[in-house]
Amino acid sequence: MANRDTILASLKANKPKLIDLPFIDAAVFDEQLDLAAEFTKILEVVGGNVVAVSNDDEIASHLQNSFSELPIKYSTIDESYGSIDLETIANPKDLENLDVLVLESTIAVAENGAIWLADKNLPIRVLPFITKHLAIIISKKDIVPYMHQAYTKLNNTESDDYGVFISGPSKTADIEQSLVIGAHGALSLTVYLKG
Amino acid sequence: MSHPNLASIFNKDEKRVDWHDKALWFVRHKRDRSVHNVKGWESLRELGHGIKAHTLSNIDNYLIQFEVNALNNGVQVHWAANAEEHNQIVHKILKKNNAKKVVKSKSMLTEECHLNPYLEADGIEVIDTDLGERIVQLAKEPPSHVVLPAIHKDRHQVDELFQEHLGTEPCDGDPQYLTAEARKHLREKFIQADVAITGVNFAVAETGGFVVCTNEGNADMGAHLAPVHIACMGVEKIIPKQEHLGVFLRLLARSATGQPITTYSSHFKKPRKGAKMHIVIVDNGRSEQLSRPDFRASLHCIRCGACMNTCPIYRRSGGHSYDYTIPGPIGSILSPGKDLKKYSTLPFASTLCGSCSDVCPVKIDIHSQLYKWRQIITKNTPQPFIKKKSMKVMGQIFAKPSQFEKIGKVARWSLRNLPKSFINSKPNAWGKARDLPKGPKQSFDDWHKQREDNKLKNK
Repeated sequence: MANRDTILASLKANKPKLIDLPFIDAAVFDEQLDLAAEFTKILEVVGGNVVAVSNDDEIASHLQNSFSELPIKYSTIDESYGSIDLETIANPKDLENLDVLVLESTIAVAENGAIWLADKNLPIRVLPFITKHLAIIISKKDIVPYMHQAYTKLNNTESDDYGVFISGPSKTADIEQSLVIGAHGALSLTVYLKG
Repeated sequence: MSHPNLASIFNKDEKRVDWHDKALWFVRHKRDRSVHNVKGWESLRELGHGIKAHTLSNIDNYLIQFEVNALNNGVQVHWAANAEEHNQIVHKILKKNNAKKVVKSKSMLTEECHLNPYLEADGIEVIDTDLGERIVQLAKEPPSHVVLPAIHKDRHQVDELFQEHLGTEPCDGDPQYLTAEARKHLREKFIQADVAITGVNFAVAETGGFVVCTNEGNADMGAHLAPVHIACMGVEKIIPKQEHLGVFLRLLARSATGQPITTYSSHFKKPRKGAKMHIVIVDNGRSEQLSRPDFRASLHCIRCGACMNTCPIYRRSGGHSYDYTIPGPIGSILSPGKDLKKYSTLPFASTLCGSCSDVCPVKIDIHSQLYKWRQIITKNTPQPFIKKKSMKVMGQIFAKPSQFEKIGKVARWSLRNLPKSFINSKPNAWGKARDLPKGPKQSFDDWHKQREDNKLKNK
């Protein structure tokens, strides 16, 4: 505790006089985006694959066609799609061989293609990272224009113990600035845009 | 060693310097393209600056609020006054959990504290999991950039390192193959890890949660697999509210690499079931920097690296020439506060062009602070003889216009008539890599007078 108090006392002694906290007026940034079009454009730029669908059958058949070769799958939406039972996963490490994961989200951001996944739609936190291929279903009506609106939406719902904005598949450019898709997280991201 | 000496080592490989310069300038371009697409970008920067300035003016209370909320979330909170204490705290947590294997995602703070060697001395394996950081770790070097740690290495060097340490096949530096091999190698480390250490990009007082940003997904792979997660943060990472993340996450990646946001922006609040989470809050000189009115805005920094990418000196001297954890312009205003003598050459590693201040997402007046550190350093540390003398002589010349005119005449004549070997002789550092211009016959004063006279005549 001695450290804590010393550090806080020295910060208190050294800080300047109180400066006002600015107000965020999100209207300043508004460009009247076409949300679905912008979201699709940006997500494709960051390496994601966007598929517009009108019903769940289209999602099922697209999944079937895309990943038919891959044996280990899990979906939080459609039980019949999965090949594993999460109840049998004692340790998140046991998910190491997961090929395909299908999840649902209720917040997506047009300006940066980010999709919010949180504990409530994520039975085990490591799932969207450890899977080789990630598919997320989102409704057009759930796209907000900017991060400001995303946080307004998050502030209005019950707070999540863990949540992540995901924008595209994992990537790195650490070797001579050459972009390589598929670093530690998912190798691919497919987003099904409903409505 | 001083910045000029270390820079001259980097400058030995001219082709490499050219590549480094162009690669970083390209990143700067990507940043420009990205921010020009954001309506109200300047307002966003103003907000970033304003929120940080406000936070620093109430930082003790926000940290207390953060601690209360984090404890309520079931997270253990530790405080470290300096690097030594930080390392001891982390070490103690590892011991308590019988941890032998640690995976660590990018954290400039743990670099600053030299955590790895401290833990390794006790036989603990620490693996840096960001690809760039893993590369420099294998090479036994520090990162040379906060966002692009291995930007000073070429693909063939990475190829050789991986052959030696990971047993890869020679591949002529194929980034796709090397990255895939690193993925396999690090996947194994993630699975085996006893503890995951991450940095913190933003800590939110209102929720007690914190945000970690990566493109590779390495922070999450570590934190969600290991039974214990330790997050290390400097006191200045605190922000008041969750809604402020909206501002900073819009600024960060665009300024860093031109991406609209990092691939993963992970919001940690409570540990997962059965796992433990610790936060270590570190001062290590930050409260002292806060006491300096001219320099406290340096604590606004969100570590995007934009000032490095744009800096003509950084691009041509490389990150290692700064010999400080945070290189580039921002490092040059943070480091003198830590050790004025050791880092006395860094504020001079600048043309004061101001480009760093122009691109800074939280509007730190970096180049003004560089200038102010120069004043302090010149007064408080011994200066080289030639520099001291020449400054004194220059001061005297500039103080007397008639003398200035006489010397100017001599100088212009000399530049026209004396041999290059004399003009570019040793005391003239400027002449090392460039020629001086040919001296004009007329001084500016003469030219201006003549012009005014002509104007009168033509009336």
